[in-house]
Amino acid sequence: MITIDEITIVRDGREIIYDYSEQIPAGSITVIIGPNGCGKSTLLAAIAGDIAPDKGTITIDEAHPILTAANTLAGIRAMAIQNQSFTLGFTVREIVEMGGDSTDVLQALGLAEIADRLVTTLSGGEAQRVAIAQAIAQKTPVLLLDEPLAAQDVASRKKIIELLQQLAESGTTVVVVAHSTETELTWADKVIKQFH
Amino acid sequence: MKKWLPALLLAVAFIASLYVGATQIESFWSALFNPGSNEILWQIRFPRVTAAVIVGAALGVAGLLAQGACNNAVAEPAILGTAAGASFGAVLAISSGLVEVGTIGAIACGTIGALLTTSLTFKLAAIRGALSSFALIIVGIAVSAIFTSFVGIASAMVSRADARSISFWSFGSLALVTPDNLIGIAVTTVIGIAIAWTIAPALDRLSLGDATAFHLGVNVARIRLVALIALSILAGGAVSTVGSIAFIGLAAPHIARFIFGPSHRTLVMHSAIIGGLIVVVADTLSRTIAQPNELPIGLATALLGAPVLIALVAFKNNVWRTQ
Repeated sequence: MITIDEITIVRDGREIIYDYSEQIPAGSITVIIGPNGCGKSTLLAAIAGDIAPDKGTITIDEAHPILTAANTLAGIRAMAIQNQSFTLGFTVREIVEMGGDSTDVLQALGLAEIADRLVTTLSGGEAQRVAIAQAIAQKTPVLLLDEPLAAQDVASRKKIIELLQQLAESGTTVVVVAHSTETELTWADKVIKQFH
Repeated sequence: MKKWLPALLLAVAFIASLYVGATQIESFWSALFNPGSNEILWQIRFPRVTAAVIVGAALGVAGLLAQGACNNAVAEPAILGTAAGASFGAVLAISSGLVEVGTIGAIACGTIGALLTTSLTFKLAAIRGALSSFALIIVGIAVSAIFTSFVGIASAMVSRADARSISFWSFGSLALVTPDNLIGIAVTTVIGIAIAWTIAPALDRLSLGDATAFHLGVNVARIRLVALIALSILAGGAVSTVGSIAFIGLAAPHIARFIFGPSHRTLVMHSAIIGGLIVVVADTLSRTIAQPNELPIGLATALLGAPVLIALVAFKNNVWRTQ
């Protein structure tokens, strides 16, 4: 379980998140929605341990992400950022294997056919799926995904959602930032739309 | 075959470089297989060509570390201020009479100078927040220019021959390398390469950006610091012994990446071998094309390295995609 306890996050003098508390249950899919600039990605980054709240605490079970060593944290949570760029010409398989074993996840996300292609040659949607696959390959109890569906076609969206549902059923806590309306989110167990 | 080609070329270039020179060595092959039998071969050429291999390996891996740690295609010791800092540290200690060129003391002073100037580049580049590639390169060029001027001033103020000239510190030379010098640069090069090998998987992850590297378990600040220290040890050892040799740190890792792909574990060894190869060829040219005069080796490495880099950019490649 992820526990967010009275956090406030200030950026460039603006309170993006104010005195916000939430509990995200284990083994479920939680989707964070809201308009641009409302703090969705900031909240996800704070859960990931990328940024420290100015007030309050976030815990993943007993661990405080911001106080946990990077290599330990990588065994607790995995995260795919929104616009993953690739500068070096690794293959898709090599990138996914930086997270862990790639066999199943490449198949599940429709990346098996392009496993030996260089990531520097991929389209935006393919690159995003590679980033998601890498995070899933880490096989962590918590999986954080920032806008995983943004650049995907209908078939790829379906594959990603089905995989997230399977992961949640097997006990993974999935937290997704999405640009969807609440009515579209039939696949979510919980929807968060207010951080104040 | 491709895997062994650079090593094979290095071996051929090494022997050819021992053979070529102002003085013809009689019964070359017999002298080669009898260590110590020929004074010119074993007391002059062998230390010089061996130093070329070691210095080339050090600068090649230093460039790889700079590019990997900064996630920047044009980072190298000469761009980040590392080489100028190493020269300044060494020339200051040598001109004040504390140490002599090629000694462990000079290497230590060069390494400290390299570490301080590279840290200064990083600090100044991040002065407005996040470290941007653009700021890193611009600040690095400025820091290099300042410390190169200091080297010029310091070397001009001292007339002792053993303090070396501004030409030596700016363009490098292997002409004065002695067998005793080899131990110091060999030790620093082995240490630097061992560190580079150890952190290579983290550098692979760092190529995905700081955020993703952190998500994959890399302590980004620590890895960058370790890379910076290794880079300074490698450049400090090489520059304090043979002066600044341009383009190796830039060309060797890019050529290695073009042939062998982006994995840093693979690139550590191949950048070292290709760096060694370029310096051996460049040194052979620098002492033969204008006989009996010798050209500074930096002129030859620039002539060899620069066209390779232009070719790498001119031909489409997906090995390093610039944004």
